[in-house]
Amino acid sequence: MEHLGPQLFNGLVLGAFYAIVAIGLSLIMNLTGTINMAHGSFMTLAGYLAYTMVLRGTSFWFALVAAPLIAVIVGIAVERTLVRPLYRREPFYSLLMTFGLSLIAEEAYRLIWGANGVPFAPPPALNGALGLGFMVFPTFRIFIVLVLIVAMVALALVLTRTRFGLRLRAAVQDTEMIAALGTNTQVLYAVNFALGIFLAGIAGVLAAGMLGLSPTSGNALLMPAFVTVIIGGMGSLFGSIVGGLLIGIAISMTTLFVPAASEVSMYVLMAVVLLIRPRGLFGEEGIFG
Amino acid sequence: MSGRAALAAAAAVLIVLLFAPLLAPLIRLDISIVSEVLLMAIAAMGVNLLLGYTGLPAFGNAAYFGLGSYGAALSVKYAHAGFAGAIAIGTVAGLLGGLVLGPFLLRRRGIYFGLLSIAFGQVFYFVAYRYTDVTGGEDGMNIARPALEAANAAVPDSAFYYVAFAAFVLCLAAFRTVVASPFGRTLVAIRQNEPRVRYLGLNSDRFIFVALLLAATMTGLAGALFGLLIDFAYPLELDWHQSGDFVLMMILGGGGTVWGPLLGAGLYVIGKDIISTITPLWQIFLGALFVACVLGFPRGILGTAEAALRRRAAQRFTPDDVNAAFDPNAPVEVGRGA
Repeated sequence: MEHLGPQLFNGLVLGAFYAIVAIGLSLIMNLTGTINMAHGSFMTLAGYLAYTMVLRGTSFWFALVAAPLIAVIVGIAVERTLVRPLYRREPFYSLLMTFGLSLIAEEAYRLIWGANGVPFAPPPALNGALGLGFMVFPTFRIFIVLVLIVAMVALALVLTRTRFGLRLRAAVQDTEMIAALGTNTQVLYAVNFALGIFLAGIAGVLAAGMLGLSPTSGNALLMPAFVTVIIGGMGSLFGSIVGGLLIGIAISMTTLFVPAASEVSMYVLMAVVLLIRPRGLFGEEGIFG
Repeated sequence: MSGRAALAAAAAVLIVLLFAPLLAPLIRLDISIVSEVLLMAIAAMGVNLLLGYTGLPAFGNAAYFGLGSYGAALSVKYAHAGFAGAIAIGTVAGLLGGLVLGPFLLRRRGIYFGLLSIAFGQVFYFVAYRYTDVTGGEDGMNIARPALEAANAAVPDSAFYYVAFAAFVLCLAAFRTVVASPFGRTLVAIRQNEPRVRYLGLNSDRFIFVALLLAATMTGLAGALFGLLIDFAYPLELDWHQSGDFVLMMILGGGGTVWGPLLGAGLYVIGKDIISTITPLWQIFLGALFVACVLGFPRGILGTAEAALRRRAAQRFTPDDVNAAFDPNAPVEVGRGA
């Protein structure tokens, strides 16, 4: 039983990752109906960029900010050129298109950085462990949780306390009305997409330090993030946080007790939630049927 | 396309397929590749029924395909099933997959349905990946192709082709019958306006469930035959990438058309065969194909051709024809790209 505490903490860290990826996915999905299958690719991109930067001698802290920003620039370019023409069409077209992008990205990473995983260690300052009396926590994981909490709180503040956030939430409800009232919805779409990618980028750099970095490492986080969105409910950021943590704990607990069922556990959780509450725990009825 | 020309084209395609074991060597094509084309076409037809006709983003059909494959492989390995028995068991496995997942998928529509099918489809991948003792895990499982029960004879690749051909013709005939039936028309109506279908007193859930079971059965059959074709079952058959490939084949050929899946599957399988011998970067080509198809060619080859033919036909219309075209009693148009 002495593994229970650390494993629970691991589950929470994992859950925080799922939550932040799911929030990015949700942002894009809620406004434009696009399921961004390339979301994982952007995470991997940020991870590899940070890896290359640190390799070339920049500090980890610089890379933690700069790599997601470069991913955002790539993201905006992709959104403006490839995703935008699809907003007027059936949503599954953008799903297919981003799926194709993720295939291209995966192979491109393999070409540039090699097919095998590369080591990406957190800086020495974060390598220690923090004893809190009852348990010892690895510093890097505490740092991860803190960064992810800050990112989520900042996002919540942007969405609820700024004019931009107000417009964004209004656009989710009625894009045509907000456009008629004089908001440039194209800018809204681009900035919203960029926000989602930025969150993915930060998660990507941190995940690279904890879970490893390979051409498919981002995609490995994508599926739990989908499940998170379904469990938490579409259209609810709070739901994504709760859903992510639930899954993280479910996975870490089954890893401890029934290792073979660790991946399947989240799907069981999803099935149960769907049976009891089809819209998800905190989802709004009527969003996307 | 006018009825007679379409019929002639269909007959020509079937005749070419009938003599494929003689024709394929002429263009240096292995006959098992042609078998694969037919099996993939069956799987793409399953996507077509759900996505092309009913408008449901079926992004998890690899689950039924893999269930068919593993159903056949496991029954051969552990129950010593014969050739026909393995096919039957694999097909039923696909159907059972549809029966289990259907009630969950039915709860949502639109992209939510897509998310659910991706996520639930992945369960089977992890099961096959994890239960190494039974399934061989990541390495997959090799089987020896079983003998045909009645004749107690082995099934060589050339004979296997005719099994695949028979399965394809069967599925194609069933597919044509279904989409032309009132049931199929209702599926198209659901795609166009589901609330209205409900207001007409039809339980759209029930229609979608039946369509799902049909697709799952077809896809299971394709998977079972594919497992026996390559004498192998592996977890990636169940992966969402495989589901994506089925959708691509459908889009490439033309969603909502009867022959589109065959055309798409042919281009995909043969293209993959050629390109992967030239360069290891097949995946980049595949990804680019997705992007190009969606952005530039969303109706697919047959969908675009049909639309062009319809436009040309429209130019020859007289006012009476135009009135007829707006006749509310006229049958629902089926062949439109999704």
